[in-house]
Amino acid sequence: MSDVKPIPLTFRIIAGIALLVLLVPVSIVVMAGFNSGEFLRFPPDGLSLRWIKEFFVSQTFLPAFKMSFGLALATTFVSTVLGTLASVFLTRSTSRWREMLRALFIMPVILPGVVLGLALYVFYIWTDLGLARSLPGLLIGHVLVTMPFVIATVTASLVDFDLSIEEAARALGASPLQAFMKVTLPNITPGIMAGTIFAFIVSFGQFELTLFLSTPDLQTLPIAIYTSLRYAFEPTAAAAGIFAIFLVTVSTLLTSRLVNLKKLLRRH
Amino acid sequence: MTELTAEQIDTGPRSGWQAPNLWWLVLPAVLFLILFFLIPVLSLFATSFDKAFAGVITFQGNLTWDNYERIFTRALYYKAIYKSVFLGVAVSLICLVIGYPLAYVIARTLRPGTATLLTILVLASMQLDMVIRLYGMMVLMGDNGLINNGLTALGIISEPLPLMYNDFGVVVGLVQVTLPFMILSLIGAIKSINPALEEAARSLGSSRWHVMRTITWPLSLPGVYAGTLLVFALAISSYVVPALMGGWKVITLPIHIYQQIAEVGRWQFGAAVAVILFLTSLFAMTIYILALRRNAGGRV
Repeated sequence: MSDVKPIPLTFRIIAGIALLVLLVPVSIVVMAGFNSGEFLRFPPDGLSLRWIKEFFVSQTFLPAFKMSFGLALATTFVSTVLGTLASVFLTRSTSRWREMLRALFIMPVILPGVVLGLALYVFYIWTDLGLARSLPGLLIGHVLVTMPFVIATVTASLVDFDLSIEEAARALGASPLQAFMKVTLPNITPGIMAGTIFAFIVSFGQFELTLFLSTPDLQTLPIAIYTSLRYAFEPTAAAAGIFAIFLVTVSTLLTSRLVNLKKLLRRH
Repeated sequence: MTELTAEQIDTGPRSGWQAPNLWWLVLPAVLFLILFFLIPVLSLFATSFDKAFAGVITFQGNLTWDNYERIFTRALYYKAIYKSVFLGVAVSLICLVIGYPLAYVIARTLRPGTATLLTILVLASMQLDMVIRLYGMMVLMGDNGLINNGLTALGIISEPLPLMYNDFGVVVGLVQVTLPFMILSLIGAIKSINPALEEAARSLGSSRWHVMRTITWPLSLPGVYAGTLLVFALAISSYVVPALMGGWKVITLPIHIYQQIAEVGRWQFGAAVAVILFLTSLFAMTIYILALRRNAGGRV
């Protein structure tokens, strides 16, 4: 084992560059949010909580943050329920439709967001059910693009679950529902929670689909930041970004404790 | 008859929550997808064949190929297809070149802590809202951005470098956004290579680069194909990156779709451009999924 060669230097250098590409933009947002000046300069002006305070009284970014948060919670709830039920079917059914359904469930994330947004918008106008530019219409779109993530994580944990434990409960007299609820469900809970967090983050950061479905009074955080970016670099947007970065970091750490990252990677 | 039943319990289809009567579990999700996914997407297809009238969304039923003919005969539009594909290819290749080494480090480092930390960083940067990351990119690369600002302050340049609002800016933005997907596709593929193969070649006298070229790289090809196609599909579909980093000067297919609809109100034509974009991306994704399946030996 002592003979194992270290990773080549060139590889280490390029890997470092890749890390910089991933992390520098995020660090800049954090710096801009804590910067004391109007504009991030080189060298920076100094630290201040000015923009964080500004964010809490902002008429644009605070409501948008709340809107994104609430929408993501509602989306996550619907996606988790629908997706978990579907996952049980997908892992246990012997139906020949199973593969087709699996493909159908992946489709919404394969479709470019702009195309799906346009399709939904046209559909909402045609059916005239009041879904166009409404909160329920937006929620439907977000459920579509988050459910595949719930199904992927929950299916993975169901595949890993040892069925004989559930069968043992059945043999000892539990009804199918009891055996599932009392034995299987607790065992796959980490997988379901990971799927829930994934869904929340995907919904919270969703942009291209939302672009077609939101209105000025239904602005989510990505849309609000996008709109402001077309005119100026508002440091308040960066301050809002800091809270989003915090949210994503915490949830990624949570997910990595809930599911075995290595296992998840192997499946991808 | 009783014997047969007993045997079925032992070896036949398993009992409990797995019999064929599980349809009701999947039914809500399927109905949801049929109503809000399949029907809308098919409606969009139908709209794309409807005669274009500015400002009219409702279906008129005047079926025609006009919208598609327009895309392929007007330079403005077929150049957008070319631009999208060109950017997609450039971004996939750059992501591969800078993503492979990081994936290799994560897959092969001997310190499990490093692997976990790097994986979490990659995952977190993938999940963070794109618009927020683009804010950082724009502050960095604008004419008055950190790079130009710093270089001018140091007296290296007198005029700001054109880093943004051009193809270069869009490519850098797309690489930032899609790189995590490349890395995640590659880690699995590199990990699945038995390290003993590399060690054996090394102990028989091969140089490190020779081992990399003749063993590691060829064996990781399924991951390379998967990552490249995934990044390509994501890059050509992106609206927000060309919109912000290209400042409306880099016209790709998604930009056209939005402009046709938001500015001209020509829904039918926008729908046709959307269908073209969808088919291009679907083509790449289908090959991607096939490559993944082969890679995973049917586990996916």
